[in-house]
Amino acid sequence: MSSTLIKCFNLAKTVGTVTFKSLLTTSQNQLPAWRPAVVGGVLKCGLHTTQCARQERKEPLMEFFDNPKHWSENEVKVGRAWKLDELRIKSNKDLHQLWYILLKERNMLYTMEHECNDKMEIFPNPERIDKVKISMENLETVVRERNKAYHLLETGETGERPQKLVHNAFGLRCTYRSCEHVLPPFMNTKWIKSRHLGFGGRAVHKFLLQYREKLYNAKRKAKNRSRNEVMMILRRNPNFDLELLKRKFPDVEIDKLRHSDKARGHFVPKVDG
Amino acid sequence: MRITQYLTSKLKNFSNLPKEYIERSKKQVYWKTPREINYLPRTVERKRFRYTTNRSWTGQFRQQNMPATMRKKVFVEPVEDWSFFRGDRIEVLVGKDKGKQGLITQVIPERNWVIVEGINWHYRRVGADKEFPGITIKSEAPLHVTKDIRLADPSDLQGTEFEWRFTEEGEKVRVSLRSGRIIPIPETNNQTHDYKTPNAYIEREKDTPAAVVSEITFQPKLSTFEMDIMEEMDIKEERTPAKSYWY
Amino acid sequence: MSTRWYPIYQRGNPQLRVFLPNFWMKLVRPTEDQPANVVTFAVSTEMTKHDVKNYLEKIYKVPVVDVRTRIALGETNRDLTYGYVTKKDDVKLAYVTMPKTEAFTFPDLFASKGEKQEKDEKSMDESKEGFRRFLDRNKKRPGTPGWFSI
Repeated sequence: MSSTLIKCFNLAKTVGTVTFKSLLTTSQNQLPAWRPAVVGGVLKCGLHTTQCARQERKEPLMEFFDNPKHWSENEVKVGRAWKLDELRIKSNKDLHQLWYILLKERNMLYTMEHECNDKMEIFPNPERIDKVKISMENLETVVRERNKAYHLLETGETGERPQKLVHNAFGLRCTYRSCEHVLPPFMNTKWIKSRHLGFGGRAVHKFLLQYREKLYNAKRKAKNRSRNEVMMILRRNPNFDLELLKRKFPDVEIDKLRHSDKARGHFVPKVDG
Repeated sequence: MRITQYLTSKLKNFSNLPKEYIERSKKQVYWKTPREINYLPRTVERKRFRYTTNRSWTGQFRQQNMPATMRKKVFVEPVEDWSFFRGDRIEVLVGKDKGKQGLITQVIPERNWVIVEGINWHYRRVGADKEFPGITIKSEAPLHVTKDIRLADPSDLQGTEFEWRFTEEGEKVRVSLRSGRIIPIPETNNQTHDYKTPNAYIEREKDTPAAVVSEITFQPKLSTFEMDIMEEMDIKEERTPAKSYWY
Repeated sequence: MSTRWYPIYQRGNPQLRVFLPNFWMKLVRPTEDQPANVVTFAVSTEMTKHDVKNYLEKIYKVPVVDVRTRIALGETNRDLTYGYVTKKDDVKLAYVTMPKTEAFTFPDLFASKGEKQEKDEKSMDESKEGFRRFLDRNKKRPGTPGWFSI
């Protein structure tokens, strides 16, 4: 086991990723006890089999609850979420199994959270929900990647829902995401009538003018804010590294600000030479 | 500390919590538009938070940032590279413990703070009432990284200034300006709330064993996910979908 | 194509199969008394009765006889500080009837939790008690430090 761990670490180093969590700790994973035919899969963990099997026979609904020994605990520790790279090396069958494991885990966590909230108790380690969610998102990303690759190979298209940038009725750029239709577009008169892709007229012009003013104001305020921030930093730390400030706030004229009244603290300024 | 800086810095996430959870637990949404097609996604939520020694996913943080409490803005100076890590030996430059050395136990980059073991004690009294004077609890107050402390040189254990430089292998290291020695980032920096070293992690019942995680079971195959699963489960589908148009 | 895309219906098309269902379901404590073989679930609002039945039968292997659903309106209340009227999300409740032979009672999850909390509160009381005893002992000799007598 340790050799694979070391490999894992070396990989992480070369990739240069920021690994917040350990590479070898692992995520929530129960045996998919609901389908014994598929249990022989890779994601099997022997320790867990008996328990799940027992639960299945007696009370299948108890799968909606955590292990009874965790009920009264204040902390339930688990590993981290599945990463994209770990999921990419798994077969479709494994991913399919893992999805249901995660789905059941999420249902269990939701049930426990709901009950804890109802009874005014603390739900231990709520980040478990996020970990499961991240795993599920990553899994779906991997599935999507694989399907995309297949479609690109076979048809030359991604097979994703087509979308394009268009101007909407207000003259704003937005993405138009296509829909599936039975009729071809030229026959679909109802659809043709419903599309107002053109824009123009005085009202839209006025709207656009004011909309741009709003955007400009947001930008202006952001600039003012960073300018103010620089002045306040300089006021509090008169000997602050100006080069660093320039790098952090590139849109602020720091040399000009340095001598402004607001940037000066309540002390007698040092007179140069 | 800004997000880009946080990502490039060598500081590790001690809490070991996912980013999503940290964001979610901090959030205070007062009002938001229904997630319907006829509404634009707009939220009214708290934007400014006061970060203290209470971490943002705790109840104390929430207590300090209750709705309708607005506290004066704290101007946090930008720092170039975060240079103080858990386990670093530092020298205190100010206060009643001036000149003392200690090890960093906690890092709070939101405020440019570190907490040093046994340095800068402060005392507070809790549970006092008419008959009872209360219990005194002592805890370390934070120290500011740019003003209050400096690193100790590992060669002679004296305080020193330092610089980030690159080694010949291209690794970024801290170098003591006085002795020219590299100040290594301590191993403690890699510790998290869940384990001290990755090898020492105790696998819980719901964890997938590392060997299983690193096993490669993927076989490239000319089929989509759905087709593969259907084949696996012996689902035969003869019908072909009728033509449809995307527009 | 995302695994979430729902194709349009055309006669003669292949059967629609969901490989990665994203529906959630949580078992909630019933608010009213109900027969032992009825279980209440809160489910994704998009789920139909058939979805609920299939979900339970296929994924959890729970025998299901009947499913009745309703959508419970989310609570509205006024934000005390800012005055915004907020509404919680609507939630679909599914009342699932199992065969008569099955029975399910919602377990009491926090039965043993009360004892633990009491322990924490005790330590403060203990120190208060200790201080009172110290005062009693030193009634006749005020100002003596705690370490003075044995």
